[in-house]
Amino acid sequence: MSSTEDVQKTGPQAAPRDHVAPPADHSERAKTLVQRIADLRAWLFLAALVLAFEIWARYDFDGTFILNPYNLQSIAIFAVAPLLLASGQTFVIISGGIDLSLGFIMGLAAVVAAHVVNWTTPSLGMPLAVLAGALAGVAIAGVPGLINGLLVARLRVPPFIGTLGMFGVARGVAFLLAGGTVVPVQGNSFFSTLGNGRFHGVPYIVIVTIVFVLLMHYLLTQTRFGQHNYAIGANVQAARRAGINIKSHLTRLYVLSGICAGLAGVLYSARFNAGAAQAGEPLLLDSVAAVVIGGASLFGGSGTIFGTVAGALVIAVIQYGLVFINVEPFWQFISVGVVIIISVLIDQAQRRFSGGRVDE
Amino acid sequence: MQRRSILKAAVIGTIALGTGISVPAVAQDKKFTIALIPGLTTDAFYITMHKGAQAAADALGVELMFQGAPEFNPTLQVPVLDAVIARNPDAILIAPTDTNQLIEPLRKAHDAGIPIITVDTFIGNGQYQTGGGEADFPLAYIASDNILGGRMAARALGEAIGGEGKVYVSNVKPGISTTDQREEGFKLEMKEKYPNIEVLETQFNQNDANNAASQLQAMFARNSDLKGVFGANLFSALGAANGVQQAGQSGNIKVVAFDAPKSIVDNINSGLVDVAIAQHPAEIGYFGVVSAFAHLTGQSIPTLIGTGFTVIDKSNVSDPEIAKYVYSD
Repeated sequence: MSSTEDVQKTGPQAAPRDHVAPPADHSERAKTLVQRIADLRAWLFLAALVLAFEIWARYDFDGTFILNPYNLQSIAIFAVAPLLLASGQTFVIISGGIDLSLGFIMGLAAVVAAHVVNWTTPSLGMPLAVLAGALAGVAIAGVPGLINGLLVARLRVPPFIGTLGMFGVARGVAFLLAGGTVVPVQGNSFFSTLGNGRFHGVPYIVIVTIVFVLLMHYLLTQTRFGQHNYAIGANVQAARRAGINIKSHLTRLYVLSGICAGLAGVLYSARFNAGAAQAGEPLLLDSVAAVVIGGASLFGGSGTIFGTVAGALVIAVIQYGLVFINVEPFWQFISVGVVIIISVLIDQAQRRFSGGRVDE
Repeated sequence: MQRRSILKAAVIGTIALGTGISVPAVAQDKKFTIALIPGLTTDAFYITMHKGAQAAADALGVELMFQGAPEFNPTLQVPVLDAVIARNPDAILIAPTDTNQLIEPLRKAHDAGIPIITVDTFIGNGQYQTGGGEADFPLAYIASDNILGGRMAARALGEAIGGEGKVYVSNVKPGISTTDQREEGFKLEMKEKYPNIEVLETQFNQNDANNAASQLQAMFARNSDLKGVFGANLFSALGAANGVQQAGQSGNIKVVAFDAPKSIVDNINSGLVDVAIAQHPAEIGYFGVVSAFAHLTGQSIPTLIGTGFTVIDKSNVSDPEIAKYVYSD
């Protein structure tokens, strides 16, 4: 364990002043060439994929893939929900945990947002009702997040088990609130306009997501919270000895992760003009996949938001691109699976090179 | 509005006769318990079926149990079935989640002397009490004819796009009897009646509206002459409709949805969905309970009851006669 200097170099402003030293383990490795390439691997992957689809499109039907703004827009919209879940998941995975409840927290938020918009529209009018619905959706998502955090931090339940339990609870509560079905948003066209409108061709939900992801990036790289997160993930004992309040950090961490899912749920109900409890169910595994493809290690201690962005885009590009070039649908599963495996293999190889922990 | 009620009138007659006579006597002797196990509990279709079943149960003085799994999946449904068998109900109504995997689990109930009626989906080939085959022991199959429903969707879409152009089916995943049949019926009708319509590769979305929307956008990017899409279930249709909206093609690409929960009806009002093919799940539940009751009180019942469909579009969506076919929550 060593000095603080290494860590403070991670950001240009070196925002944290009074922070304690995380173990050097993470930061030293971060400088090796192998690690740098590994950090970029998701973006290289993405570039290779886009190139492959572009060549296919030109060769096969004389079209273009990436130069068509419509395709970019479609992929961006598709990536919104998985990326929001994955940005929270990135924080959790860096800390050495995992959040399996995100999918149904998203569904819970979507249902609550739809209900609150419906209830408040007559009294508050459309824009304020949307604000109320959005706040309610995000706030409610913090509740299962808080319980996750208390379970993991105070009661020492392993994250995998604690959040799996919350997966069930959030799912049940979401379906109960929704009456087992989908809750349509009624009488508030403003909500749907936000969900489907555009600013100079860029969908609002994409703009919201970009801003949010930048904030998450800032939080991870420029604040004490972010640095503690790396420290805990790299070596929790060392972090504790260095004086980091692990319990308080983990509690806040899972609340943050829940809030990410909450935002995804609110945007879902705006876009589809309805809240569905199962909205995020298929996205949970995509969120983990995006983080892993993005270069984070499931052992904790490493990972970046921009890597996760690339990971989410890789998944979106594969799924969209394979439909675009008209490949038999089942190849989509195979290709996403193959990309995940390759990413983990790269991660393992990189650990061997750099002398880190390898799961034998 | 199109309806199919081939067997229904006859059935109502038979059952009404049977129940009318036996209700008072039986109600005093013993209160029957009938279990309804849906394909999944979290779906407006089955929730509406439950309401129809409850209406019949209340009318007949029958206790109705409603228990099921949250997903349409045999691995999750079989334990629910086993638990229900353990409660020893007088009859089981079930929407089996697999044509083969549910045969043996249901045989256990049959061997225990519990009469079985399948609703919405079937086991084996759906032909019961024939004396042949492994899976002919249920007493009756009560459902919409999903192949016919798919054909009706094809007709609605074919007419909406003027009989030519490219279309595709947005579907959940392969291996679900009902959605497979809708796709099959859709493709058959297109092939037989609309030679100028090209049906593109089916896209499976795993019941994810986000994925279905993205697939619509990709299909349109590749086929700029795409004219229509058939969403074979709720999330397929919701997603496809949103994809059309995102692509800025509302009105140019027609969307036909299968099933009619409120969210689809809202989308008809706002013009995102053009036509919905509504099943009559309340009827399925109602006739399920009534058939079971008739059997328990010594009446004979038909082995197959087909319930109908209602075609809902902008022209009739506000008609109260049509509104009763919108699934309740």
